[in-house]
Amino acid sequence: MKQRSGAVLVALMVVGCAAPTRRVPPQQIPADPVENLAAAIEADAKRSDRETDSKVRGELAAEAGQKADACIAREPQAAPCLYGRAVALGLEARAHPVRAGELLSTMLGSLASAEAADPTYDQAGPARVRALVLLRAPGWPLGPGDADAGLLAARRAATLRPQYPPNLLALAEALAKTGDAAGARESYQRATSAAQALPDTEDRGDWLREADEGLRRH
Amino acid sequence: MGTLLMAAMTTLVFCAPGYPGGAGDAQPYVDQFAAVTAASAGWPAGSLAAVYDPTEPGGLSKLASADAALAFVPFAFFVQHGTELHLTPLAQADVTGVGLQERWTLVAKVGAVTGPGSLSGYTILSVAGYAPDFVRHVALAAWPLPPDVKIESTGQILSALRRVAAGEHVVALLDQTQAAALPTLPFAADLKAVVQSAPLPVALVAVVGTRLPAARARALQAGLLKMGHAPADADALGQLHLKGFVMPQLPKVSSAP
Repeated sequence: MKQRSGAVLVALMVVGCAAPTRRVPPQQIPADPVENLAAAIEADAKRSDRETDSKVRGELAAEAGQKADACIAREPQAAPCLYGRAVALGLEARAHPVRAGELLSTMLGSLASAEAADPTYDQAGPARVRALVLLRAPGWPLGPGDADAGLLAARRAATLRPQYPPNLLALAEALAKTGDAAGARESYQRATSAAQALPDTEDRGDWLREADEGLRRH
Repeated sequence: MGTLLMAAMTTLVFCAPGYPGGAGDAQPYVDQFAAVTAASAGWPAGSLAAVYDPTEPGGLSKLASADAALAFVPFAFFVQHGTELHLTPLAQADVTGVGLQERWTLVAKVGAVTGPGSLSGYTILSVAGYAPDFVRHVALAAWPLPPDVKIESTGQILSALRRVAAGEHVVALLDQTQAAALPTLPFAADLKAVVQSAPLPVALVAVVGTRLPAARARALQAGLLKMGHAPADADALGQLHLKGFVMPQLPKVSSAP
């Protein structure tokens, strides 16, 4: 029998790693059907992030999964579809924690395909989200979490798009998790500077807040 | 009214340091467990609350609260903090895929460690590293560790095993699930299990001090022991990878020197 859990409380291991996604202003509706589906998946992810009712989160995960399937059916190798499928799988993992290990492994596969198709999509999103999954998912042997591999992915994202604050935040988180507190602090400071150089938006506020919290912890 | 008020204040604190999971995400599952447990014990609906904390300081802080009358903790936590918190075991968890007991395994680089003495200067990394008394006097009771051995907590057991395989002066103490998965690692051939603990409880539900009247504790214990036999409990237990509970069967633990 396959060992599922080393301790009871492991089952509380719900994934805290729904994939943060790019934010498209609601009035901006892409004309391309593939981009449209990708944006719709992203909207589901944003709603899920703010939703406290697990039933509603399950429904949003199912909707996102259907949209990802439709996207993949149109363009199986397109980065937006592969990335969208990864995001949808992340939502499903959160909604169904008992299956999270399997779902997150599949999610990582989709992110690898998306990164191969277009590593710069969503400001190096495939590598950034991959890093966050590897950093936050339950680690071996319970799940695919792997802080060392997460650091490599975060470095890729930060190298590809070094001025995008979420990439620097992901790198800071990876450095902190692998024991480099000084490096983490430096990355949080770089994220702050990068965010301060951007126009004042809700995202910018979130990034600054996250960087500030990180700096206070490290 | 007085009884109801007291009932409303009973909280079960789940704490599993080193294991994954966030308090927010876990809340629906511990809520469901609390509801089913209260029903099984014949307690009024809503009289048992539950909270989860994945960190040792967070768990200790929650257990310091006057309404925290019950703790659901790994055995390592019980060994480390049971005396100071005045924990009295009420029931022992039967964990899906593991059982009532588990063995802990010390893993070293092949050829590097031949006995306890050769661990001098080493660091033991483990998910249970927050509980040095457990590591030193329970899990490795058969291996008297040199005084200079360090014990550190890590939630990154894969990284720890990479360091072991790379020949750093570290060894890893694995729980049963981790040890069983060792052969799946690509560098498994570089690792060797050098000693294993006796079978030890996996997790316990315990009463904190005298915060729960004896009659209510007995009712709760009876309720816990019944769980797993009723189909209605299966969902709440299954979400926590539990099969049920038995009376506590604690091993004799040598005290610290």
